This record gives sequence, structure tokens and C-alpha cells, in this order.
Amino acid sequence: MNIVLLSLIVIFSLSCYFFGKSKILKQTKISKKKFHSLPEYYGYYLAAWCGLPALIILFFWSLSELYIVKILILSDFRTDPAIDNNKLNLIFSQIKAIAENKFTGNIPQNLIPYAERFLSLNKILELSKLAIIFSAIIFSLSFAYSQILKNIKARESVEKVIRVVMFLCAAIAVFTTLGIVLSLLFESIKFFTAVSIFDFITGTNWAPGRAFVRDASVQTTDVENVFGAVPLFWGTFFIAMIAMCVAVPIGLFSGIYMAEYASSKIRKIAKPLIEVLAGIPTVVYGFFAALTVGPFFRTIGEGVGLNVSSESALAAGMVMGVMIIPYVSSLTDDVINAVPRSLREGSYAMGATKSETIKKVILPAALPGVVGAVLLAISRAVGETMIVVMAAGLGANLTINPLEASTTITTQIVTILIGDQSFNNPKTQAAFALGITLFFFTLVINVIALNIVKKFREKYE
Amino acid sequence: MNNKAKEILLKKRYRAEKRFRFFGISSIILALSFLCILLVNIFTNGLSAFSRTEILLKVNFNEKKIGININSTDKEIKQANFDEILQEALLNLAPNVPELKQAELIDLVSIDATIELKKFYLKNKDVLNKTSEVALTLSDDIDQVHKGNFPRDIPEDRRRFSDFQLKIYDEQIAQKKIISEFNWPFLFNADSREPEIAGVGASLMGSFFTLIVCLLLSFPLGILAAIYLEEFAPKNKITEIIEVNVNNLAAVPSIVFGLLGLGVFLNYFYLPRSTPLVGGLVLALMTLPRIIIPCRAALKAVPPSIREGALALGASKVQTVMHNVVPLAMPGTLSGTIIGLSQALGETAPLLLIGMVAFINVVPSTPFDPSAVLPVQVYLWSESAERGFVEKTSATIIILIFFLAFMNSFAIYLRNKFEKRWS
Amino acid sequence: MVNEKIKISTRNLNVYYGIKQALFDINLDLFEKKVTALIGPSGCGKSTFIRCLNRMNDVIDICKVEGSIKVDGEEINGKEIDVNVVRERIGMVFQKPNPFPKSIYDNIAYGPRIHGLANNQDDLDRIVENSLKKAALWEEVKDRLNQPGTGLSGGQQQRLCIARAISINPEVILMDEPCSALDPIATAKIEELIDELKKSYTIVIVTHSMSQAARVSQNTGFFHLGKLLEFNLTEKIFKNPDNKMTQDYITGRFG
Repeated sequence: MNIVLLSLIVIFSLSCYFFGKSKILKQTKISKKKFHSLPEYYGYYLAAWCGLPALIILFFWSLSELYIVKILILSDFRTDPAIDNNKLNLIFSQIKAIAENKFTGNIPQNLIPYAERFLSLNKILELSKLAIIFSAIIFSLSFAYSQILKNIKARESVEKVIRVVMFLCAAIAVFTTLGIVLSLLFESIKFFTAVSIFDFITGTNWAPGRAFVRDASVQTTDVENVFGAVPLFWGTFFIAMIAMCVAVPIGLFSGIYMAEYASSKIRKIAKPLIEVLAGIPTVVYGFFAALTVGPFFRTIGEGVGLNVSSESALAAGMVMGVMIIPYVSSLTDDVINAVPRSLREGSYAMGATKSETIKKVILPAALPGVVGAVLLAISRAVGETMIVVMAAGLGANLTINPLEASTTITTQIVTILIGDQSFNNPKTQAAFALGITLFFFTLVINVIALNIVKKFREKYE
Repeated sequence: MNNKAKEILLKKRYRAEKRFRFFGISSIILALSFLCILLVNIFTNGLSAFSRTEILLKVNFNEKKIGININSTDKEIKQANFDEILQEALLNLAPNVPELKQAELIDLVSIDATIELKKFYLKNKDVLNKTSEVALTLSDDIDQVHKGNFPRDIPEDRRRFSDFQLKIYDEQIAQKKIISEFNWPFLFNADSREPEIAGVGASLMGSFFTLIVCLLLSFPLGILAAIYLEEFAPKNKITEIIEVNVNNLAAVPSIVFGLLGLGVFLNYFYLPRSTPLVGGLVLALMTLPRIIIPCRAALKAVPPSIREGALALGASKVQTVMHNVVPLAMPGTLSGTIIGLSQALGETAPLLLIGMVAFINVVPSTPFDPSAVLPVQVYLWSESAERGFVEKTSATIIILIFFLAFMNSFAIYLRNKFEKRWS
Repeated sequence: MVNEKIKISTRNLNVYYGIKQALFDINLDLFEKKVTALIGPSGCGKSTFIRCLNRMNDVIDICKVEGSIKVDGEEINGKEIDVNVVRERIGMVFQKPNPFPKSIYDNIAYGPRIHGLANNQDDLDRIVENSLKKAALWEEVKDRLNQPGTGLSGGQQQRLCIARAISINPEVILMDEPCSALDPIATAKIEELIDELKKSYTIVIVTHSMSQAARVSQNTGFFHLGKLLEFNLTEKIFKNPDNKMTQDYITGRFG
């Protein structure tokens, strides 16, 4: 329905454009007077007046439509004090499913009249939407038409609209951040009313699956004891460190070699090839880690008499390290190239070898940049999901043995939220609490890293 | 310091130099060999999925057993039961076996074989009451044995096929009745619990719809935002806030966008779960900053003299930018967009959270139908136990990598070919 | 200097870049269909001055222009004045040739298109041809109008930019050191062209070369440290300047 309406509005606007343009062309021919702007702009002006108000109404109407219906339909249930907000939501989604013929299972008979009411309300709202949008179009069009005949400065008005639209597009970035923060905060706050922040940050027992037990009131397990996130923080940190142990030396040396030693021919081939490592989807690394690397370590472990679990922190961390190599190497390469020539020449002029120059002069000068690169790589490792989901395991172990399974923040978010989730229980909300932890942690690292790199650039520019 | 000591020191210094160089070279070689191992591993595992194994089976299309006659309409035929003639044909492979073994005979072919039989009959109606040789897909276990992916010399109780089945298979091989063909159904079928008939058709379509939604949203929004920030934005607090947000969003872990999609699009706006519409929406938000940043760089690279030239002719700021600056920045913008989209194509984590992991066994026909996407299909199959899914997973990765390679090389081509170096 | 019509006059023109003042109380009259040369050591504000005349300084965020600039007695400096109309009347040619990376034809046709000067394709063709002819470029490019303007030689590019400026039929053409990036032969061609163009347009040229100013202009203004020190007939300035500084500059004692 909305799509039909949308395309109707677009078609209308298009025809308004052509109408306005030809109208002005005709007017110029008849009256010989020169209009302020080119005829096209009067077309755009008309089209904007036709389309924009209609689109704005359509947008906000569609957003609020469901809520109006919800409020009207649920008014009967609200009087019952036994029904809380969560139940109301559930009832409403059931009514909606029945009305749309999507309900699975036995249809509760008492809801059928409401489903019918839902349908009739929807119909009324649809019709009034149509009426309002079309009257808006007619009203604004007649206004715009009278305006263009007055030889207004159409180009300026159109350009103003374009600027506003562009500003709104740029502002989406802010809205996205707001959306992320608010949606995470909203659920997290609910979570932290059930579980204390202190227990979440310092608790060492993570078993959210058992939170359900309490809901079903079969057994009274204390909710607060199963949401200790320390094992997750540790696992995340541990796996990221293993990854950095692989990525930092290899990335750093590749970057240095690429910037200082490699001939331009080798550079041209090797640099993009290494960057391919960053372009491969993480799910591929995850599959590789789970299917090949994990069992490989296990076989080796069996050979030397070690008990390696097939899902181990080591496998996940190593593979993640490989994925991160190009982030370190490219940034190192850039940073080293930004170090001015004069520093190098000063060192060479004293008879220093290349490696001595690099170790004693270039790296110290480039250090902030390299630190920034490593920090950005850590933030990647912490936020990486698929590799750990597929290869690191689910057990929330507080262990320093890299051969055991280990779990991370991201793994737990996915495990909790994959498949069907019911909202409004602490388990689901825990995922959002983890999400906000992850978001702020990576945000802080990124801001620090970006600032370090920026300061470094400014120093040598 | 005497000369000798100096010489020793010098030698030591040169050794250090050599060592350093060696570390550098070996790092690069190590990184590249990781890449090689990864790709070779995937390709050796996955290439066999592009062929399928079939058996040429003599089937007697007895009209009584099927329950149709020469005048039956297509609809009647579709509803008819071909199981009996299929079973008969399979049992004919080894007549007079005990009942227990009969089940093993029937398990030789895929459960889809009756449908294949039906399709064959619909195309060749003249075989009614005659015996004809039909190519039918073998079961996944036999398929894996045929491709050599599964060793046949391990004890019977540790494999999924019996010695008897193996004997029949060897007989058929000797009679040249087992054939391999290119696995078209793999590219067109939807997912299935049976590896031999599971395909990536649904997830290909899902990926396509998701990318289209993502492109339609992120490209115009991203390019307009970039133009605003680079050309029009006044230097004030608001602009600064927007810029900081864009830069930070580019580095936010993708899974956080999944949480956003779940919390806002699904829970708040009631958009349909598991659909390319929501997937594309989430990926568009993720891709947006990744388009804005290269697009701004491309706009910045256009020399100011072009802008001055147009302004001096009395073109307005908007005209100047739209007519003269944006077209020049297009190649850089497009290549940035394609690279952003290729990242979106390979993205998995946020899609898991908005329910694009459901088992979908029909190919979606619109962006509003539940569907999977290629990387999620990889994840789903990698969790399956059947041996046949390993090669399918790898093959899906091959397809995914093929698309990524194509998109990225197109982006590089665009950049090299059209991007002018202003100096 | 009497009996000549004043085309542009500036009164108490002050320009600031942030807190730094670049021009101090410039009062200058430019005469119609004459070439006025502005000379002075670099950084003296002569480019800043002509950029005020078609409001190109609006592009620079921190630049503030105060005072009055009148074209045919009409004020053009002010927030409410439509800069696009001002620039349509007063064209500009820059120091470095800056043809758009489009075809030669589209380079010229761009202005007429955005100002709606041509009613049909024939009109546009005629405008392009006339502009190129006036810029003395027609003969050289008439067979390759569809090739990119950036492929021309430096001198040709600059004449293309002049043709582009002429295409919208301005009343005044501002030239900001138009020959500084060109070789002597190309420079000679441009100077010849300026001589021809002054029949139909008022021309203001900023130049580094004293001899060029002497060759092409009728009036000359001497700028120093943001102030207009002397303005007079070119002949007078070069032969017998009133100001000591002008004298020193012209004879090459500084600058």
C-alpha cells in the first residue's frame, strides 16, 4: 500500500516538473518577459511542493499508524490491572498476527473480535491517510502554482530545499549513533534494574540460560549470580591478545619492509595481496578456524600429549590475528612513509645501516602512529564476531590456558539473540548490556587511536 | 679502538641488518602463505560441490502403479505418486535381497528422486508403460564416496553407508551407470536438510535483494551527506558533531548495528523479521560512513580552480557543485561505494541478530520475504553435521569470494581508469 | 579622463581576512570600454580588489568586504544582492587557465545554459561560435569542439577561459594575471586579444609585468600594502608618476 502510494507521489511530482517547466516556457514565449530562473527550476519548484509535503506526511503517518491502532485496541485491556506492559505487547502482537493470518497454533477465541477491529481500524486509517495526502498535494500545488506565475526566485527556493535535504542526509550519522546508544541503553537499563551493575562487572559466573529457570518459577535460582561478565571480558581480552601476538609482529615487519626495503615492483604486488586478507569475509575465517585450524591444533596436541579442545582460544585468536595483519601493516606503512626524508638522511649520513636507521630513528619518530595502528587493530579484534562464534566455543571459562574453549562478549551476544528471542527477560537484555559495554569500549579505543594518528599526521605535515 | 675490533663490530652490524631484513621478508611471506593456505583449503574442499553424482536407473513407467493414464493432466501427474515405480526400479538393482537390505537400496538415491522422476515424465510423456533410463541424484553419502571426500576403508559401523550399498555402487560403476554432471541445482535450489539437494539459490537471491536495498539507501544518502560535509557545511559545532559521528561509526563493530536493527527496526517499528528489507536497512547504516569517507576524499581532490571557474560565470553554489564538482568526483565515489557494498556483502554478524538465520527452503521473490544471505548460509551449513555440507560450505565461500573479487577489481578498474590525478 | 563614463566605482572599500585588513579605503573609478591595469608588488591586494568586483571573495569564509561598489550606479556589495546576477554581468579570467574537464563546446556552452541565454540548439551553437571567434580561438578549434578543453595548450586554454567568460555577454571582464602561466608568444596573443576586446567590454587586468600594463592599458592603478597609492592615465603613471613609491616601483627599485 505504502509502496503504491510512494510511486504515485513520485509519478505526480514528475509530471508536476514537466508541467511547471513547459508552463514557464510558454509564458516566456507569450509575454516575452524573462523569468528569474531557468524554466527547469520552476518545474523542480512545483515538483518539490507536490512531493515533499506528501512524503513527509506519509513518513510520519506510517510511523505512528501502528501506535494509534495499538492504543485504540488495547484500551480494553488496560483497565485490567493484572496485565502489565509486557503482556499488553504480547496481546497486541497476537492480535496483529491473527488479523494478518500469520498466527501459528491455536487462535485464542477471545482475541478474534479485536483482530476484526484491528482490520477495520487499519482500513479507516488507510483511507484517511489517502485523503489527507491527496488534499495536502492539492493544497500545496495550488499555492506553488500561484507562486511560479508571480516570477518568484525558484532557483533559490529549490537550492534551499536541496541544502536542507543534504543536511538531513549528513545528520543521519548522528541519528544512527543516537539510535544505537538509545536502543542499547533502553534495554540495558531494564537489565540493570534486575541485575546490579556491580554483579555484572565483577561476577565470575556466566550462565544466562539458567535465568529462565527463575522465570518459570520451577526453582528459585538467584538471577544475579548467573550474569557475571568477567569470564566474557577476560575471554575477549585473551583472544584479542593472542590475535595481536600474531598480527603485531607480522604486520609491523611487513609494513616496515614494504615502506623501507621493497622495490616498487614487489610493493605493487605484495601490498594489495596482503590487503586481500582484510577483504575476506570474517565468516570465511571462522569456517577455516573451525574446520581446519582447530582440528589441526588438536591433532598436534594429541601428538605431544596435550589435551586441546577442538574449539580453542588459540585457534580463534591465531586466525583473527591473520585477519588483522593488513590493518597493522598498511597503517605502519603509511605512518613510516609520513616520516620526513630529512630524518632518514641525517642518520644515513652518519654511516648508520638501514636497519639501524629504522630502529633508532624512524620507528621512534613513527611510534605514535604505530601505537594508533595497534590500538585500531585491538578495537577490530574486540569487536570481531564470526571467528569467535564459530571457533572459540561457548563455555564461559575463566582460564589462561589457550588450548581450552573460551568465550567472548560478541559470541555471547550472538548466542543469546540468535533465533527466536522473547524480549523482556533478563537474558535478552543481558545481550544489550554486553552490546553497550562493547560499544563504549571500542568507542574509547577508537577515539584515542584516531586522535593519536591525527596528532602524528599534523606533526609532519 | 683498533682495526680488528672495528671489523668485528662492522660484521656484527651487518649481521643485524641481514637479520632485520630477513624478518621483514619472512613476515610478508608468512602473511601471503596464510592467504594461500586459506584459499587452497577452501578451493580443494569446495570445488567438488560443483558436480553432482547421478545414477542411470532403468525405470518402468507403469500407468497402474503410478495411477495415471495417457490423458492425465499435468496437475494430476504432479499429484500422482511415483514412489512405487522408483522403489521397484531400485530393488531391481539387486533382486531377491532380504527386506532389511531393501531399505538400504532405496536409500541409495536422494529423497528428491521421485520429484526428478516426475519432472522427467512431464517432459517425456511417451515413456508411459515403457521402460526408460533416467538419471537420478544419488544420496549424499554415496555422492561423497564417489567424489573421494569420504574414505571407504574404515569399519562399517563408523560410516553412514553399508558394505552392501558400497557393493551395489561398485557394480553400477562397473556398468558405467554412475555419472557426474555439473551441479546446476546447487546454484538454483533453496536450502534443504539433505546436502545433495541443498543449494545457494535462496541465499544468492537474498544477498541480491539485501544489497539492492543497501545500495538504494546508502548510495544516495552517503553521496548527499558527503557533498554537504565537504562543500556546504559551515564550520560550526553541528558540523563538527556530524563529522565525529561519521568517523566513529565507521569503526563501530558490525554486531552493534545488528543490535540496533533488532532493538529499533524489529522491536520498535515492527518491520518483518528475517527479510532482506531489514537486512539491507541495517547494512545501509553500517555502509553509510564507509561511503561518506571515500566520497569526501574524492570531492576534496577536485581542484578549487574548477569551482572558481564556474562561480565566476555566475553559477550558484549548488549548480557549481552539481554540474562541475560531483561529476569529477564520481569515479572515486563509485569505487568507494562498491568497496563499501562488498564489505556489506560479506557481513554476517548483524544479520544473525535480525533473524536472517532461519531455515529458508523457498527462494525469496521479493525483499519482503524471509531469506538467508550467502555468508549466513556459510555459517548455517558450517554448523551442520553431514559430511556433504562441508563441500557445500566451501563452495558457497567460493561463490562469495568470486563476487567479492569481481566487485573489488571493478572498483580498482574504475579508480585507475577514470580518476584523474590533479596536481 | 573627463567625458568618460564611469562603469564601476568603489568608495571606502575595506577588506579583512579575519582580523587582518587586506585593503584600506579604496576609492577607484573604472571607465567603460577601457582597459584598466592594476600593478603593485605581490601581496599588495590587487587580486583581492578585483575579486571584490564580482564578489568572488564571498567564497572565502573569513573574508569580509565593507564599503560600496557600484556598477552603473547600482550597489552590488551587500548581503541582499544576488551574487549570481553580479557575476553574470562581471566575468572573470584567472591566473591559471581553469577549463572544465569537459569538451571545448561544453566549456563555452556551460554559462549560456545555466543563464538560459539560448532558446534552442542553433542559438547555443551561434553563441559558442561567436565567443570562440571573439577570443580568437575559433580557427584553431573549430574541427575539434568535442574534444576535452583540458587537452589544449596553455595559451589556448587561457583563451578558452576568456571565450567562456565572454559567452554570457558580460559588461566587465576581470583578468587576474592572465598571462603569468604562459609563454611570451601566448602572452602576445592574449594582449592582442585584450586590445580587441576593449571595443566591447570594460576590462580590468591585474598584472605583474610593468611592460604589459604599459602595452595594454589606458589607465593604471598602483597598489601598495593594501592601499591605492596612485591612479591615473597609464602614460602619466609610467612617464611621470606623482607618487615617489610608484616611481620606485616602476623603475624597479623594489618589488
